[in-house]
Amino acid sequence: MTPVLQVSNLRKSFGGITAVSDVSFEVRDGEILGIIGPNGSGKSTLFNCVLGQLTPSAGEVRVDGKPTTGMRPCDLNRLGVSRTFQLLQVFPQLSVRDNLILAGQEHQGSMYSRLIGAADAGLGAAADQMIEFFRLSHLSEEQAGMLSYGQQKLLDAAMAFMAGPRLVLLDEPAGGVNLTMLGHLRERLQAYHAERKATFVVIEHQMEFVMALCTRVLVLAEGRIIAEGAPQEIRRNPIVIEAYLGH
Amino acid sequence: MNRLGTFLVAAAAVFAVAVPFFLKPFGIYLISMWAVLTIAAIGLNLTLGYAGQVSMAQGAFVGIGAYTVALLTQADVPYAAAFVAAGLFCFAVGWVLGYPALRVQHHYLAFVTLAFNTLVFLVLRNEEWLTNGIYGINSIARPAFFGWSTGKALDFYFFCLGALTVLSLATWWILRSPWGRAFVALRENPVRALSLGLDTRRYTLIAFAIGSSLAGLAGALYAPLVQYIEPNSFGLGMSFNLLLMVIVGGSGYFFGPFLGALVAVLLPEWMRITEGYYLIVYAMFVMVMMAFCPSGLLGLVERALKAVGRRTPSPILRSEGVGQ
Repeated sequence: MTPVLQVSNLRKSFGGITAVSDVSFEVRDGEILGIIGPNGSGKSTLFNCVLGQLTPSAGEVRVDGKPTTGMRPCDLNRLGVSRTFQLLQVFPQLSVRDNLILAGQEHQGSMYSRLIGAADAGLGAAADQMIEFFRLSHLSEEQAGMLSYGQQKLLDAAMAFMAGPRLVLLDEPAGGVNLTMLGHLRERLQAYHAERKATFVVIEHQMEFVMALCTRVLVLAEGRIIAEGAPQEIRRNPIVIEAYLGH
Repeated sequence: MNRLGTFLVAAAAVFAVAVPFFLKPFGIYLISMWAVLTIAAIGLNLTLGYAGQVSMAQGAFVGIGAYTVALLTQADVPYAAAFVAAGLFCFAVGWVLGYPALRVQHHYLAFVTLAFNTLVFLVLRNEEWLTNGIYGINSIARPAFFGWSTGKALDFYFFCLGALTVLSLATWWILRSPWGRAFVALRENPVRALSLGLDTRRYTLIAFAIGSSLAGLAGALYAPLVQYIEPNSFGLGMSFNLLLMVIVGGSGYFFGPFLGALVAVLLPEWMRITEGYYLIVYAMFVMVMMAFCPSGLLGLVERALKAVGRRTPSPILRSEGVGQ
């Protein structure tokens, strides 16, 4: 079976510094892959190369077997690849509901039909369902900027799911979220995964979160993959422990 | 739109229809000018207020529209065709002017558009074979439709008011559609918008093109209103004035330009009694306004409503009424 995401020999240099060197991995259909690594190990650069925010210096990215290297983020998104950001990225002046409609509208019809058709692009009901799913119903008409940090994180994740993506890349979903909200977020992600058979890639610092959520983990250090395996194996791997604790 | 909003809009509409019957010709000329400049300001509000793209070239597009209509009608092209041509031509030029916005933003974009405005001004002034240079174009005729001549001030005002109604309804439709939401997304967070599948490049160009074509259509009304056009009318002064209308009225509020244009057109006239001082008083008013209420007059209304405990509407809903 063709992997959902296939990254081959990906390299990204900034001047003389190689942030990601020769990284290859696959993401299989329906799995939750965690990517962990110390600060500066190249996780976010890797993500940005895969998602078209940065153009890789070398290597190839394929989504469902189709080459997507260097594709614009908006085109990649319309192929079914969605993401959340490390720092909050909601539209603060739009209501929660409008944020979600926005997240799905470009997947509906054409430019022309989006001008002529319904104001909610036919996504009103889907947005309400998503709001319900993430338990944000009481905030539906609030401006997104007025929500608490944790609530905005939930909204951010909900937006990534709005278009029913094939693959979702979550960049530090746990960052800055308190423990209660974190449990809630993890539980919602697991529920979504179980319900829709979605495929996730998660970059995370918070080990507990990764170990509880992910089915397979990759460890990145100094731009290379140094280990791969089930969460329990990774936890005991001496190379990983050394990378985290230093030499 | 809630009841208060509907009532206010209806009352304003009734007022706009009734008021010219109580005015002298100069008064009618002024409110016609208000209607014309409101159309251009609505365009700038779409580009700047909603889509967040700074443009200091709106006056140039009014000029391009005005010259297009003046030259075409004097070449015996029917007014209606010249009107449409002005809108389409400005749409195309606005689309092209959008390209720098794909590379630069904010004050850099302001400079690029400022330079464009100067460029247009120089073309209007120096290309005498086409534009008659500093002598301008005289005796531009007011159109007639199916036997209805708009030659008299009152008739021409109703023609302008009709155009304003149709164009503001069209803009309202665009802003309430998914396009409007995409424009706001462009303003608030283009990186996130791109990752949600929004072709931000295309939306930026569209925002510029629509905003510019509205200025062009305003120009198409401006030429027969004043009946004499010359390059100086479309220099940086007009662009600044239009920018002022959008900001004073409330940038990103649908009814902002209506109010802003009213202030910008009427206030200087009312303050003529202060003789030489009116520009100073006007400038003071604008400075105080910007210092204490950068979100404009409608921002002030919104703050007042919030203070009495109503909920804030999202910018999408804002396009539906002042009194949300």
